[in-house]
Amino acid sequence: MDATKTPKVKKESKNKIKVEFEGQLSTWERLKLKVFSMYFLKNVVVYICRLILLIGLSYIVIYPFISKLASSIMCREDFVDATVMLISKNPTLDTYKAIIIDNRYLEALINTFVLSASTALIQMFVCCLIGYGFAKFRFRGNGLLFLFVILTMIVPHSTLHLAMFMKFRYFDVFGILNFLGGGVFESVELLDFTSVSLINSYWPFLILSATGLAFKNGLYIFMLRQFFRGVPDSLEESAYIDGAGTLRTFIQIILPISIPMLVTVFMFAFSWQWTDNYYVNVFFTTTGPYTLRDIVKVPATLDTQYAGSNMYIAAIRNTAGILIITPLIFIYCFAQKYLVQGIERSGLTAE
Amino acid sequence: MNAEANKSKKVKVNSAPKKRRRAVSLDKKKARTGYWFVLPFIIGLLIVYLPMIFQSINYSFHELRNIQGGGVELIPVGFANYQEALFSDAEYVQTLTSGIRQILFDIPAIVIFSLFMAILLNQDMAGRGLFRAIFFIPVIISTGLMSDIDAQNILQQTSGQSIDTGTGTNSVAQIVNVMDVERLFANMKVGSGLVEYVVQLVNDIFDIVNRSGVQMLIFLAGLQSISPAIYESCQIDGATGWETFWKITFPMISPMILVNAIYTIIDALTRTDNPVMQYIENVYTSVSGGNVLSSAMSWMYFLLVMVIIAVVAAVISAYVFYQRRDA
Repeated sequence: MDATKTPKVKKESKNKIKVEFEGQLSTWERLKLKVFSMYFLKNVVVYICRLILLIGLSYIVIYPFISKLASSIMCREDFVDATVMLISKNPTLDTYKAIIIDNRYLEALINTFVLSASTALIQMFVCCLIGYGFAKFRFRGNGLLFLFVILTMIVPHSTLHLAMFMKFRYFDVFGILNFLGGGVFESVELLDFTSVSLINSYWPFLILSATGLAFKNGLYIFMLRQFFRGVPDSLEESAYIDGAGTLRTFIQIILPISIPMLVTVFMFAFSWQWTDNYYVNVFFTTTGPYTLRDIVKVPATLDTQYAGSNMYIAAIRNTAGILIITPLIFIYCFAQKYLVQGIERSGLTAE
Repeated sequence: MNAEANKSKKVKVNSAPKKRRRAVSLDKKKARTGYWFVLPFIIGLLIVYLPMIFQSINYSFHELRNIQGGGVELIPVGFANYQEALFSDAEYVQTLTSGIRQILFDIPAIVIFSLFMAILLNQDMAGRGLFRAIFFIPVIISTGLMSDIDAQNILQQTSGQSIDTGTGTNSVAQIVNVMDVERLFANMKVGSGLVEYVVQLVNDIFDIVNRSGVQMLIFLAGLQSISPAIYESCQIDGATGWETFWKITFPMISPMILVNAIYTIIDALTRTDNPVMQYIENVYTSVSGGNVLSSAMSWMYFLLVMVIIAVVAAVISAYVFYQRRDA
């Protein structure tokens, strides 16, 4: 290279300069070199293949929702019309109207919201406490107790169906209620009558949440424990030196840094309670609180007695499904950022 | 002199535990406060969960009978419920074996698919966040009520025409059929079992994509924990992408393969749309005396799956590579 030739420096704008030196290729030539190389070509091909694959797979995930949405705005005649596949000829909101009014959608929405939000909040705090306790304190029996957490995670809830129902149908703590009621066992095999029935109330959900035993709580405890293990001890030690107690350290130091994890757990707890139909079916009989599971039925004002009844009923069901998940989608859009971040930070991968 | 020395020794021995109790180290004191944090779980375990487990096992050895005036009576019947489930019930054993086989088939499919997706979504590209969000939607939404709605629609599809929601596995909605794949594999000398497996996988793609959300995230987190310096040195040594995957990525991620395999089994076991569980729930609601029978059935199922988990964990952990922490 010839060092004597000094490059020309042009000032293009306030913060930008352009350096030109002799022998430099023009922009067009540089572009040509870049574009017509094998390396570039390979990258483009890989990029396109990857995009097609991802879009195709995303389509599989999203298609059921598109199809549900499409069938929900079809009118009655569209289902017997062979030319209608996905897009309705006469879009109508009759199905929505019928479900919202006849099936008392709003009442179900409010009931489910109260149930989901309260249980999710309780679960978030309780699991956080428990996870922190397991992660940072080496008390006696730590390992054994954590084994029980794993046990609650792997025993399917269907296994406990009858036991769970009986537990809350005849709710009693170590026979204390029975004792207070003055009841005496008539025979050993006889279950007591003086216990309280918590069926058809929110209490079973609240009790299970407050003790970290509700749906998938083992998973949350596990996730939070792994997360807290990654938090350096020096953070708490400096708080202790400054005179903070354990609880204060937990509230003022630990909770603020674990917000992504908390949002993740809240999101899981909320949405799994929202779409839950297992626990609701166990604890609520037909006279129980009116929740979202009850809106999945054919509204009284819609006439389904015709040739396309099968498809029409399916479409009504799909519409109810859309109405059920719409609030969730909104929440997901807000929490999604934290969700991926939270799981990645949880260190589910360690151990 | 001697006696005195003995005496002082004795005193020392006696006083030692007292002294230790008085001076509890800060660490131990701190460790004890841990009980307050896990107290909710301990209470729940003692009052709700363990009694429930014992009761459930207890019920499976009893017959439950309603007595007049509201109340129930337990009559011990020994292993009758288990015998009925295994030998009298026409479908239980069949459902059980097909359910177990399904779980075994699903493990490789879901683990491989989620690993593949995680690698794809780990690369730098435009719209990565959006794709990640899309693949995570099913974890949040396609559970409980929604999968119930889908299941009802599929049930209707098999009995008559219905809307195609992309979730169907009936012959009309099949993406590929056995004939096409057989032609593809015609000269490769593979057994028909493999062909059917591949066809089943392609047709169950919706199910597989739906169920691999969490596994995908676990792999993603694992991939991000691999140091980029290792990849860089591989590149400098001239390793191709293929070699890098098998020699670096795969061993480094093998602990997560173990985690995911076990997670997949547990997830399949605890799902409510699991065919065996659905059958058991059906027995619970519709068969007389089904409530105790279903307890027996589900405990048998649970034990079988535990055996599978143990076997799978043993097999995979033989091949797992753990990076030394000090290295």
